[in-house]
Amino acid sequence: MTARGVTKAFGGVRALDSVDFEADWGEVHALLGENGAGKTTLCNILAGIYRADSGDIAVGGARRELRNPAQAIEAGIGMVHQHFRLVEPMTVAENIHLGWPETPGVVTQRALIDRTRRFMDEIGLHVDPTAKIWQLSVGEQQRVEILRVLARGARVLILDEPTAVLTAPEAEDLFKVMRSLAAAGLTVIFISHKLNEVLEVSDRLTVLRNGVREITRPSAGATAQELARLMTGEERELEVEHRVVTGEASLDLRGVSARNDRGIGALHEVDLTVRAGEIMGIAGVSGNGQTELAEVICSLRPAQSGSITLNGTDITDFSVRAIANMGVGHIPEDRIGVGMVLSAPVKDNAVLHNYWTGEFSRGVSLDRARVISFAKRLVELARVQTRSVFAAAGQLSGGNQQRLVARREALVGDRALVAAHPTRGLDVNAAQEVRATILEKRDHGCAVLMISDDLDEIMLMSDRIAVMYEGRVMGVFDAADADRERIGLLMGGHEPALAAAP
Amino acid sequence: MISAQVLALIDNAFLSLVGSAIPASTVVLLAATGAMLGERVGVLNLGQEGLIGVGAVYAVIAVLSWGITSPWLALLIGMAAAALAGLIFAVAVVVFRANQVLVGLALALGGVGLSNQLGTNRNGTPIQNTFQEVSLGGSFEDGSVLEAFLFHDPIVYLAYIAMPVALWFLLFRTRHGMNMRAVGENPAAADAVGVSVMRSRLGYTVLGAALSGAGGAYMVLSFTPTWSPDIARGRGWVALAVVIFAGWRPGWVVAGALLYGSMISLDTTAQARGWELPFFGPSDLSFFLSMLPYVVTLIAILIPAGAAKIGRRVRATAAPGALAIPYWREER
Amino acid sequence: MTFGRWRLVRRLDTDARTAALTRVAGAVGALLLVGLLLLLTGRNPFWIFFEALKAIFGSQRGIEGVALRAIPILMTALGVALSLRMKVWNIGSDGQFLVGAFAAVGVGIHMDGPGWLVLTAMALAAIAAGAAWILLPALARAFWDVNEIITTLLLNFVAIQLVTWSALGFWRDKKAAVIQSTEKVPFTLPDLPGSKSLTVALLVPFLIALALWWVFRSTTVGYEIDTIGGNPRAAGFAGIRVRRRILTVMLVTGAIAGLGGMLQLSAPGAQALNAGFSAQFGLSGFIVAALAGASFAGVIGGGVFIASMFYAGLVLQTKGLSVYIIFGMYGIILTGIALGEIAARFRLERADADGGVDESGDAGGSGGVDGSGDAVLEGATT
Repeated sequence: MTARGVTKAFGGVRALDSVDFEADWGEVHALLGENGAGKTTLCNILAGIYRADSGDIAVGGARRELRNPAQAIEAGIGMVHQHFRLVEPMTVAENIHLGWPETPGVVTQRALIDRTRRFMDEIGLHVDPTAKIWQLSVGEQQRVEILRVLARGARVLILDEPTAVLTAPEAEDLFKVMRSLAAAGLTVIFISHKLNEVLEVSDRLTVLRNGVREITRPSAGATAQELARLMTGEERELEVEHRVVTGEASLDLRGVSARNDRGIGALHEVDLTVRAGEIMGIAGVSGNGQTELAEVICSLRPAQSGSITLNGTDITDFSVRAIANMGVGHIPEDRIGVGMVLSAPVKDNAVLHNYWTGEFSRGVSLDRARVISFAKRLVELARVQTRSVFAAAGQLSGGNQQRLVARREALVGDRALVAAHPTRGLDVNAAQEVRATILEKRDHGCAVLMISDDLDEIMLMSDRIAVMYEGRVMGVFDAADADRERIGLLMGGHEPALAAAP
Repeated sequence: MISAQVLALIDNAFLSLVGSAIPASTVVLLAATGAMLGERVGVLNLGQEGLIGVGAVYAVIAVLSWGITSPWLALLIGMAAAALAGLIFAVAVVVFRANQVLVGLALALGGVGLSNQLGTNRNGTPIQNTFQEVSLGGSFEDGSVLEAFLFHDPIVYLAYIAMPVALWFLLFRTRHGMNMRAVGENPAAADAVGVSVMRSRLGYTVLGAALSGAGGAYMVLSFTPTWSPDIARGRGWVALAVVIFAGWRPGWVVAGALLYGSMISLDTTAQARGWELPFFGPSDLSFFLSMLPYVVTLIAILIPAGAAKIGRRVRATAAPGALAIPYWREER
Repeated sequence: MTFGRWRLVRRLDTDARTAALTRVAGAVGALLLVGLLLLLTGRNPFWIFFEALKAIFGSQRGIEGVALRAIPILMTALGVALSLRMKVWNIGSDGQFLVGAFAAVGVGIHMDGPGWLVLTAMALAAIAAGAAWILLPALARAFWDVNEIITTLLLNFVAIQLVTWSALGFWRDKKAAVIQSTEKVPFTLPDLPGSKSLTVALLVPFLIALALWWVFRSTTVGYEIDTIGGNPRAAGFAGIRVRRRILTVMLVTGAIAGLGGMLQLSAPGAQALNAGFSAQFGLSGFIVAALAGASFAGVIGGGVFIASMFYAGLVLQTKGLSVYIIFGMYGIILTGIALGEIAARFRLERADADGGVDESGDAGGSGGVDGSGDAVLEGATT
């Protein structure tokens, strides 16, 4: 399949600028780039989700109009999105047959399930067809997506950051599937920004930067350094000096258990100590209790048992505000959904986590002048680009929104900072700024708990590392003797005894 | 007939209540089913009150002014008029993505205003060409329980038996119904596999409006049978409540409509049997009972929701995930 | 969608001023459409318009007539606007208004004492009754996540039946054989100086609007309500007790509407309840709130506008225009507002503009309903 001169702009900003792209039958082709480089936009155009402003696309030599997903599927192109497009309250069998002209017009659940079983046998991928989507693990949901695309006869399979949500063993399984599909003559295009896995699995690769193609070349012989330079344009490395901090615990969790939103146990008897002036990195695949851990500490979620202390004070039953008043900042995982009010002006967002304190209010009266001057200071400090502090926060770009929240919480967090995936979705520059903020907090004696599913980031930033799997802490390491492989195994739930052995 | 004897023996208050509720509930049943169709694809149409009015007034106009003699044709004309009103609503909320609550209220207001204006000169004129009642078999004495169940006009049979069964089949036994449900639950997912969100939303909103219009037409062609201002009298709102009570399932919509109708026929029963309201006079009971359908409908919504919350269980049936949320494809 | 060198682009967020402008443009466009419809049905919209203006501004009676209608409309609109700040749709303000009047009449005809004391008791009873009427929907919304639209609305019908019952049944004035209403409350609110029919009741909606404006400008309570309206999860993150706050705000909206019922009842000449006591003021109030969006100053302006239309409709009834047409117009205006609101989400920009964002042409500001119609075609999927 080939694409020629594909251009697409959003709101006046060019996401893709006359990009050429081609992939051969029987190859695994990696599409590399930073966030915002245009990888996902290109794939969405190939899959008929977006319509290109200009450019031609051909499959098997024939030019195709891809005005909607149905036409893309007809042309043999199927895409598995990063955020799955599955209907949660419906079964696997129903989801696979959704919107598919070959589904019989009149059909019972049983017939759908039988058909689904047959596809699974043919393709060699298996999921319980009677299960509802919400009952499945993320890896299983991804398999449903792939099955759905392949069942429809797709010959070009596009995977958008497929490993971002998978454990290491799950990712290995996925790579096997990708290789076998390519061996069967299909084209597999996969988007990633993880260099190691690209070099491991792909035959060829294409690098995009700022909506422009940088290079297409065979993967064999490429090095990670070279690709990183192509992706970012320049080499940039944050120097982090790891510390070994001893002394009193600042933030201390003892036997903490908690449930998730569905009422199922998400944290089990977690013991964790963060000392003042150190970064404790929490490694783990998303969905293993990290979110709940952050929320329990900040009292956004009740602890079922156990105790949490901050500098010797038991804060387990403190209110959200009391904890913020103690000097605990929280950069939430979902910045936009939890940490901001997009319809409200920047000034109101600037004080979201401390407007009730004496700095801004007396009784119920809120001092507008102080809020505005604080917001201006914060905007300057966080280098947020905005017309004014009266503009709606929704008008800021994503990176500016994130910087605003990170700085705001850094100011709230005098004693402790809980940072959940603080650089997720940020480009290199913004990510470096946020990391610098976190390091600065550490250097000022703040206890930092940093959650991330990016092991590189954890290894880079942390003074100590704790690995979480299924709501349990599998092991704690000093940065000096942390071993990538062992941590990777623990993240996948492998034998702690074996892995933790010195 | 043995069953006839058995039924006649049990002169059961409950059965006679439900039986006599059937005609009174038909309007609500049709409108609720229409509303449910729209909601299943994610469109909340609060304009039921207006659609009933439009359906009713055009059926009246068809009979009185256009000289239509067949009630079936008048019904179709009422449905078509409501479908047209529904199309305006659907274009505003589906194509232009306007706020469904605002435009729905606009339809309720505008529809009632329009139908009252058009009906001004036709107040109280009786409709002669009504639907004739047909028996499902056997003959029975007037006022018996069996008569209340087995002796109605064809619309009742269609609304209570054919329509729910057909809809259940459509929703849960066809590919098309599966796609429909997906549009209501997660339009982005449906769109990604090539189901046209806009087409199904437009189509089922208009079809739903036609059914609600059929409710209005049924009122003037069989139930009342004459035009009077504000003909829906809140039945449109009750229909919306019934959809919630029914958990968006066609069979339960029938049950919800009958519950409402039973409260209405309670009034007649009470008057016939000379019941009184404690501490008040007999006429007060009628006033009190006229409040009851709305109160009972309200409680019927609250009880399952409260029970689910207190029991900390996830509800077995919840609203379609994308209800009243406009769908934009190029979201970034 | 492109038009020659221009195209429409959906924007991620809009500022309040553009949104307000397009809403008003939508309403104006709707009015023009109404005029066109009147023209098509053989009525002269210009004549109607000038008759309306004459009826309103031709005499003190006209202006006072508008002011008299504006009170109930403003009171219900303020309640609805307050709930809309929190993205709660209180559609039951008609019912709350009616039970407010109901409670006021109950107190007024049964209580002995000096006028000021009775009137104060009536106002308190009305406030309590309005709040009580929304209690169940508010509890259900706050703690059981039951959508408030249908629950608040169903209670309107109960309130109408209750008022009818009281007027024809238990509180019926047995001395007056012809008019079926409750007994009369012997007191009215003090007159407004220099006015023939207005009482100090006219000041109440303005004072409430002023108070609400202050609450949202410079108190933490207003900040919290806006935060809940903008993003309930962020409100939880900020330690706001969201459920409790939703409950109290909903009760306050009911109380304001209830007080509106008492004000209406204690106007000279009213003083009693009958079956037609509320001419669906709640619905008028709802339209005002929708037009004004989140702005309480906008509520005042919109309230006066809708009250003028309402009064003109009453006066013009004798000249071939019926009250039904007014409700039909409401429907069209509301649709225009909704379409105007959506038009604010789009921006017209030069199709050949190279990456730059053109701030000049805001969609919808120009063309009312028609403009908004074009504006949204960009997002249309077929």
